[in-house]
Amino acid sequence: MALDRLFNLGFDLFSGISILLLVSIGLAVIFGMRGIINLAHGEFIMLGAFATLSGVRSGLNVWLAMLVAAVAVGIFGLVLERLLIRRLYGRLFDTMLATWGVSLILVQVVDNHYGSVTEGIRVPVGSFTVGEFSMSAYNLILMGAAAALTVGTFTVMRKTRYGLLARAATQSPTMAQELGVNTSLINMWTFGLGSALAGAAGALLAPLVGVIPTMGHTYVARSFMTVIVGGPSFIAGTVSASGLLGLVENVATNRFTPVIGQAMLLIAAIVILRFMPQGLTGRRDTR
Amino acid sequence: MNTPREQRKWSRWPRLAAAFFALAFIAAACGNDDDDQTGSAGDGASQVEQPATAEDGTGDTPEATQAPPSSDEEEEEEEETASVEESTSEPIRVGSLLDETGPLNIYGTPMVDATRLAIADINAKGGVLGRQLELVALDSKSDQNEYITGADRLVAEDLAVVHAGITSASREAIRPTFGEAELLYFYNVLYEGGVCDRNTFVTGVVPTQQLQVLIPWAIENIGPRLYILAADYNYGQISADWVRHYAAEHGGEIVGEDFFPLDVAEFGTTISAVQSAAPDAVMSLLVGGAHMSFYSQYAAAGVNESIPVVSTTFGLGNEQVALDPVSAENIIVAYPYFQELDTPQNRAFVAAWTAEYGDDYPYITDLAVYVWEGWHMWADAVNAAGTLDRDSVIAQLESGVSFDSPKGIVTLDGGSHHLVQPVSLARTNDSGGFDVFETYDNIPPSFEQESCDLIANPNINEQFTPN
Amino acid sequence: MMAQLARLAGTGAQSGRGSLGTDISAAVLALVAMAILGNLVEEFTAFEWSLWAIQAILALSLVLIWGYGGIFSFGQAAIYGIGGYTYGFWAINFADNTGETLTAVVAAVVVGAAFAALLGYFMFYGNVTNVYVAIITLATSLVLFAFVNSTSGSEYRIGDAPFGGYNGMTRIPRLTWRLPGGASHELTRVQFFVVCVAAGLLIAVGIRMLSRRPFGRVAVAMQHNELRTELSGYNVRSHKLALFTIGGGIAAFAGALFSAWGRFISPPVFSLTPAALVVIWVLVGSRSSVAGAFIGVLIVEGLSSWAGGADGNNEPIVLGAILVFIVLFLPGGVIANAAKVWAMTGSQALNRWSKPPTPPEAALRSQPKPGSSVFDWMTEANGVRSNTPIATRNVTKRFGGITAVDNVTIDFPPTGVSCLIGPNGAGKSTLFGLLSGQYSVTDGSVLLEEQNLTKWPAFQRARQGIGVKLQVASIFKELSVRENLWLACFALPHNRATADDRAEQLLEWLELGDHAQNPAGTLSHGQQQWLEIGMVVATKPCVVLLDEPTAGMTREETRRTGELVAQLGERASVIVVEHDMEFVRQLSAPVTVLHRGRLFTQGSFDELSRDERILDIYLGRE
Repeated sequence: MALDRLFNLGFDLFSGISILLLVSIGLAVIFGMRGIINLAHGEFIMLGAFATLSGVRSGLNVWLAMLVAAVAVGIFGLVLERLLIRRLYGRLFDTMLATWGVSLILVQVVDNHYGSVTEGIRVPVGSFTVGEFSMSAYNLILMGAAAALTVGTFTVMRKTRYGLLARAATQSPTMAQELGVNTSLINMWTFGLGSALAGAAGALLAPLVGVIPTMGHTYVARSFMTVIVGGPSFIAGTVSASGLLGLVENVATNRFTPVIGQAMLLIAAIVILRFMPQGLTGRRDTR
Repeated sequence: MNTPREQRKWSRWPRLAAAFFALAFIAAACGNDDDDQTGSAGDGASQVEQPATAEDGTGDTPEATQAPPSSDEEEEEEEETASVEESTSEPIRVGSLLDETGPLNIYGTPMVDATRLAIADINAKGGVLGRQLELVALDSKSDQNEYITGADRLVAEDLAVVHAGITSASREAIRPTFGEAELLYFYNVLYEGGVCDRNTFVTGVVPTQQLQVLIPWAIENIGPRLYILAADYNYGQISADWVRHYAAEHGGEIVGEDFFPLDVAEFGTTISAVQSAAPDAVMSLLVGGAHMSFYSQYAAAGVNESIPVVSTTFGLGNEQVALDPVSAENIIVAYPYFQELDTPQNRAFVAAWTAEYGDDYPYITDLAVYVWEGWHMWADAVNAAGTLDRDSVIAQLESGVSFDSPKGIVTLDGGSHHLVQPVSLARTNDSGGFDVFETYDNIPPSFEQESCDLIANPNINEQFTPN
Repeated sequence: MMAQLARLAGTGAQSGRGSLGTDISAAVLALVAMAILGNLVEEFTAFEWSLWAIQAILALSLVLIWGYGGIFSFGQAAIYGIGGYTYGFWAINFADNTGETLTAVVAAVVVGAAFAALLGYFMFYGNVTNVYVAIITLATSLVLFAFVNSTSGSEYRIGDAPFGGYNGMTRIPRLTWRLPGGASHELTRVQFFVVCVAAGLLIAVGIRMLSRRPFGRVAVAMQHNELRTELSGYNVRSHKLALFTIGGGIAAFAGALFSAWGRFISPPVFSLTPAALVVIWVLVGSRSSVAGAFIGVLIVEGLSSWAGGADGNNEPIVLGAILVFIVLFLPGGVIANAAKVWAMTGSQALNRWSKPPTPPEAALRSQPKPGSSVFDWMTEANGVRSNTPIATRNVTKRFGGITAVDNVTIDFPPTGVSCLIGPNGAGKSTLFGLLSGQYSVTDGSVLLEEQNLTKWPAFQRARQGIGVKLQVASIFKELSVRENLWLACFALPHNRATADDRAEQLLEWLELGDHAQNPAGTLSHGQQQWLEIGMVVATKPCVVLLDEPTAGMTREETRRTGELVAQLGERASVIVVEHDMEFVRQLSAPVTVLHRGRLFTQGSFDELSRDERILDIYLGRE
């Protein structure tokens, strides 16, 4: 195989994995740390994309607009946590119901405000060529951003005081409280962080996808697959699950058709969970 | 179980109370559901509690629930046309069932707007048979089940005609209902073609009409090697068949084809595959919000400059508005109607539209114009037939009526119940619109003409597919 | 508290709530009322209501498997879709010849149940649980969605019926019946509505009936504490599979009715929205009550319909707000809260309904027969024994790279107490898990009376006489104390009367008689531990594994526990893992020391207390 084709294959593969990782990492934080099945996750991504659009339209530099969008969605997450989510910790199914409600509201509010069709933004960087193949330089930025956000999240969780407290609050909330940790506040920040990451994903994807109010539906199912296939160690899990599922989808799409690629991703998720019932990073155990 | 008798006796009556509560609840919910908005939930509950408690008392329930449903939209129409009320007869009731809300409102909103405008226009010009039209408009909310119940409700409404449906699935769900009820049905949407049904008239364009113009042009002006990207469902599959057909006919070559589920939004692998195959042009039959991403990613990879895209679907969901001008660059489409068409009829139409809906309306889609044509052609046919009788109206329509539409003259092909219509080629421009560069008149729905002759065989009722 | 009771009211766990008779009379009444109503309203209204009845049946299928069995599935809508398509294929192909479509309904139910059985076998026998079941069922739905969407080609057809791809399958025959030799009758809309309501009520009554049977009680137990259910000797996996299969049949039945209703079915039934919507209905109504299925559908669908009529653009906002409202102010669903409100404000009769009255308890509370004590029946079945009831041979367990138990060979005496000690991480609990079957061994074997148990699942080992008390009391906290014991007693002989008697005897032995009707979760810490010991005894074990039975107990509680353990030791081999050296001394039993997964040393407490090395390992000195 020609070298340029080989590079191109790798480029596509890592683009796919990066996108999967980007749309999943925020959910991984929220589900992994707080056990919330956030059915509005797709809508958080959508909000990030629309916030970026609004930012650019009001004259912001596109990169700045993305940053602002991520922060804005993070703040939205904080508010939502205070008003709603914090009352629901430990009530897995109630959070599903509530976040489904939130997702319905968000889609319609955005639709009412922006209309069903709204003007998109352009890809901020050009393309480059390797051999016969022209590729999007923006995808390189996506890969970098996915890596940076993952490493950043990991660092925050491992190296900062907040991260320590957040993990403590997850593993033993009562003990953490007895040690004088304001777990309520920590949980709020955790939800906010997850929301900001989802917003960042939406912001980064905005130039590459059709930004419409229902765009979240495209991502919510596959991000759930990724996070849950990843298993309890949520950062390592999400990274490895994105890698594995992305690889399967990419190879199947390449070798066969996009339909088979999509089906293979789902089937891979099913098979993995069947034989590793706790996900990729779960304890490989139980009978 | 040896339950003590005493307890069993006592435990029964709260259970009955529960049943009553449930019934009252059901009734309340249902009372709300009737379009009769005057009855409050409380009324509904009290009405039906009677039969539940004293099983003989039917009371006044029938009157209450049989009040004719009215529609909010229709009142607007009436206000508009109140001045023409001197005509002595009752208004003619007509129906519409479209996705005004939900994800499909990308398509539905312009169609709903066009429906209102068309009815107002017809009424302003004296109505039908000298009577005003009264619109019963239902919203199917992008929900298949709402189509089924909506169609059933429209059938019960004693209407003269129904214009309904957006997706092909919705059409197939409701078409048999209208057919059995002998309620004349118009489907005003671009679709995959092949419907052959005496009760159904289609104003939308079909793939053969667009492709018999677009493919020869592309092969001649861009090159013979085409790569097909299509949505993996009926429309995409059937259109791809026709692309192959016309390409073969005009010396083209299909160098690759890929089908995408409707929720796929990542096209990286495909864009590479396209580059490997090195076609002269990409034939895009992609549909819907997720597929919009293809154009962004194609442009981001910089491929759109070397390999142009031709499409019969780009623009359906106002992609040219939603995408930035760079992503939408260098795309050639074929449609019967463009807002930019520079004809007196179209200028008047656009003026009327913006007068009603404002200057900042995103774009008047060709779906809107099919709706406009559907209503006007029906009204003209009824006026010509002089009666609302379904068979007479069908006979009139089948006689080959023409209509001077904003896009030019369209003529109904009596045998196939589809329109012979003009098709124009256009290129995207950098202001979220199209530049029309060529118009072909009288393009026939060739496959439908071939496979379907309802004048000779009025009992055919199916949807033909190529091969 | 009342909410909890009210919730239980529907679970059938306390199956005293009403009887089959009252259920049936309520259902018949509701049916008659709906039949009258259906005849009064416009046909198209009855037609719309039919859809709600169908959706309620679909919701019932989830109530059964989730509310009663604790299996949270996103796949009910997909099985509904399979039922719908099956009905379509069957009816289109055969209705012309047979003149009826009831066989098509049967076919749909069979295919749906078979699909559920396959999927369930795949999941439950792979020990997939909880949220993972949800994800597998969701992924399966989406695979079906992608597949059916791409079946537009004319090559995708079964007989005369094409799949139709995204456009769906159309012109499906209505529900039609025919007596042999008679003419066929297509149901009118109103008739169809009545049939749907009747079917829904019948299924609801059936589910409640099932919940009163032992099968249903086990399902509820499984939902509350799967591990304890299994350790009590119930085959949790086969129970789950059976429930999931029945649920699949019900969902497919609803799907068949749906196809017959709209005469149309298309792939979006397999997409995310309906999958989630079924869950939403059940959550809004109440997952543990059959009435919740009906109420949930009425609220969500009725509201959509109403809000859409008023101002379509705000429908999702209104619906979303209502969902949030329900979560915040009516947790547990509308039904649970309605019951709560009645209980607080209602008449005495209503009070009686919501309080835990005691018909089944009464059934259980037969007088203990004089002379039959706990230990008599405990030993009677165990019969002849070898000298080594339980033993391990070179057992090793690794978790990933960590070796938790390393090449341990150990024999325990047939009766009497043995103690197992060692510092944290020594592998004590893991070794217990290997003996009980919670963990699979990596290497080596586990023997019971010279029978090789190494590959046996936990419930079979429990039936064979291995009882386990876990470190954290594993009981059914929301069930009453008596029900806890009853469930454990019922596992082995599978005989109601015997279980009733034995539960009584155990209550007496544990001195928990005063608390018999209280939820087990309200017991004190020590009492919960004893209850669990009682549940272990209920399974008639010949080996009893007790993991830190006295952790967190007061001195007095510890003393009493010591007595119970000593009593047990007279009849069975009792193995105690313990940190409390005072307790170990009190037991005066042989002690085995584990360290880093290996057998370190064995001896009496006095011998070991003089062993310097043991102090070293406890203090971390090497």
